[in-house]
Amino acid sequence: MAHKWKSLETDVLVIGGGVAGCMAAIPALEAGLSVTVCEKGKVLDHCGSVGCGVDHYLTIMESGPEWDTPEFLIKHLPKLTDGIVDMAVASRVIHEMPKVVRKIESFGVNFKDPRFNDYYRLRSFGLPGTYHINFDGTEFKKHIGQRVRKLKGSVLTRTMAVQILVEDGQAYGAIVFNFRTGEWAVVRAKAVVLAAGEVNRISLNASGMAFDSWHCPYNTGDSQAMAYKAGALLTNMEFVETTITPKGFSAQGLNALVSEGAHFINKSGERFMFKYDEKGENARRAVIADAVINEYLLDNGPVYADCRHLPEDILDHMEATLQIDRYTMPAFYEQKALNFREEPIEVSISELSIRRSGVYFRGSGLAVDTDGQTSIKGLFAAGDCASVSGGIAGAAVLGHVAGEGVASFVPKMNGSLPQIDMKTADAIRETAMKHMEVEEERSISWKSYEDEIRRTVNDYIGVRRNEPGLRHALQTLNALAKREPDLKADDLHGLMRVHESSSIRLNAELMATAALARDESRTGSSHYRLDHPESDETNWKKFVIVQKGSKGAETSTLSASEPLAAAFDRKSSAST
Amino acid sequence: MSSNAKAIKKSVHNPIRIDPDTCVKCNLCDWICPGDLIYKEEDNRETLPVIAYPDECWYCGLCQSICPVDAITVIFPDQMINCQTDVKTLLGKVIK
Repeated sequence: MAHKWKSLETDVLVIGGGVAGCMAAIPALEAGLSVTVCEKGKVLDHCGSVGCGVDHYLTIMESGPEWDTPEFLIKHLPKLTDGIVDMAVASRVIHEMPKVVRKIESFGVNFKDPRFNDYYRLRSFGLPGTYHINFDGTEFKKHIGQRVRKLKGSVLTRTMAVQILVEDGQAYGAIVFNFRTGEWAVVRAKAVVLAAGEVNRISLNASGMAFDSWHCPYNTGDSQAMAYKAGALLTNMEFVETTITPKGFSAQGLNALVSEGAHFINKSGERFMFKYDEKGENARRAVIADAVINEYLLDNGPVYADCRHLPEDILDHMEATLQIDRYTMPAFYEQKALNFREEPIEVSISELSIRRSGVYFRGSGLAVDTDGQTSIKGLFAAGDCASVSGGIAGAAVLGHVAGEGVASFVPKMNGSLPQIDMKTADAIRETAMKHMEVEEERSISWKSYEDEIRRTVNDYIGVRRNEPGLRHALQTLNALAKREPDLKADDLHGLMRVHESSSIRLNAELMATAALARDESRTGSSHYRLDHPESDETNWKKFVIVQKGSKGAETSTLSASEPLAAAFDRKSSAST
Repeated sequence: MSSNAKAIKKSVHNPIRIDPDTCVKCNLCDWICPGDLIYKEEDNRETLPVIAYPDECWYCGLCQSICPVDAITVIFPDQMINCQTDVKTLLGKVIK
């Protein structure tokens, strides 16, 4: 008997209800379009990547000094990204920053520090100015989510998208399922925005617990995987990101530590950061991670974050704001019986992720143009799954850009959307539901499947790579792909996890493929090839682009002086 | 399966403690959990929330933060609190 589908129609389908997704929904709703947000969680009140609030927001405010202008920051982009950045898109994002921060303020977010009734702006991560507003953003996302609801955006909660629908080169919807009710839906849309975040759960970490991750472990590169399968171009997938976390708890908080003045010391008590960068602890995140990795490789570990020299008022402020972007951080220190005011905090590198490799404005993921549109017509992307990314502010601004892009794209569409071929939809659903009926003797749990992916990434694709290791990893990952039909889901929740495992494996394969293509090293441990340890400025000022070919992932390159959109070929798209 | 995964299977740490006497069985923890881990029967004021998938917890504490009666405590497992992993094991293997 044919499955009884739920059928939905909307102007815009947004996949992922984090900051980028909500900020994309808002301009579309303001333009009078109907918007449906598909979200694996149940609420729009919290940030997708950090789950909690926000304590830093990077922005230009045009407050007077030269450093606070778009032009000044744009001038520094090549240095901040080691020359690999889509200048056209990043410049648009930077130019839009002042407008977007004021728009978010109009939703009720208070960026000001009550101590001064003014913006408290700090410098960190190698940026050439005090661009980060340090603030109590506990309610930050709540205001943005409420805006979406106020403008009457629809939300599908506890719902996972499994496939983007594309016909004649144009996206027209998605197939989704609710993992609480088991209801499957076909959603037809005039435009689709992908905003489901970065790729986590992809490598091992110190605690050995897969879901103990710096960013949200439920962000598993679903956007990247679905769009890749639909033929979209991805870039910068070779770059990995890691951060420094208290050992045993992969959590946010590095920005607060370094911007407030914490030092890193090794086992001898040596403050080592200046050996690696003239900015010391204010270097880019990628440089800090690289330095800590090196100290451990030199047997100078353990490495500690040291706050003991900081004045009382700064320590008070740190303590008072410790819980903003990870609510449980005070409980962790308490249960560990660690007083960071009096003792150094032992740190580790976190697990790896595919996000933005520790630098601002160079995102790893879907290549987008200056309207946030991917290489597939009608398919937009924003946030940590897109080629320009920059933390919460990057997600907010590129999300807003994509929302404006959608608002301009949809009214220009002529003709009607393709009808969904229900036979194809049935086949997609049946393939998915087979995971719930896998025979015991050939079944594999998604947990052990993911463990093997994580170990492979950790050992051969991670922070030290070479050609034999990457080829070995690709072999393992390809073998795992063949076993994917045997992944067993015990229930609907497990069916969601099985799909996440599949996304994680595919993203790991894309990372290894791109890392093999870039036969040089760039940005420290973000892409360190032991067999090509130097940066090749003559031949490698290029993007590596990955796309689905007839025999698997194929790579090509594009000069980084070109916008990524130069590689887009939408000519084959149906005219609208 | 890694030895670590085996260890998890053997005894799954419960990431949150819900005080059954304090809990008002309101559903908010189920509603807010970003990982779909906490299940509470709706419209039944008698049943307690259940942590259905304890080893998938992110330790974000949103359940604790939203609980109107402070019935939830996050408890970190020993491998997080007293983590003994050699960080060098996270830095990859080199094959020639």
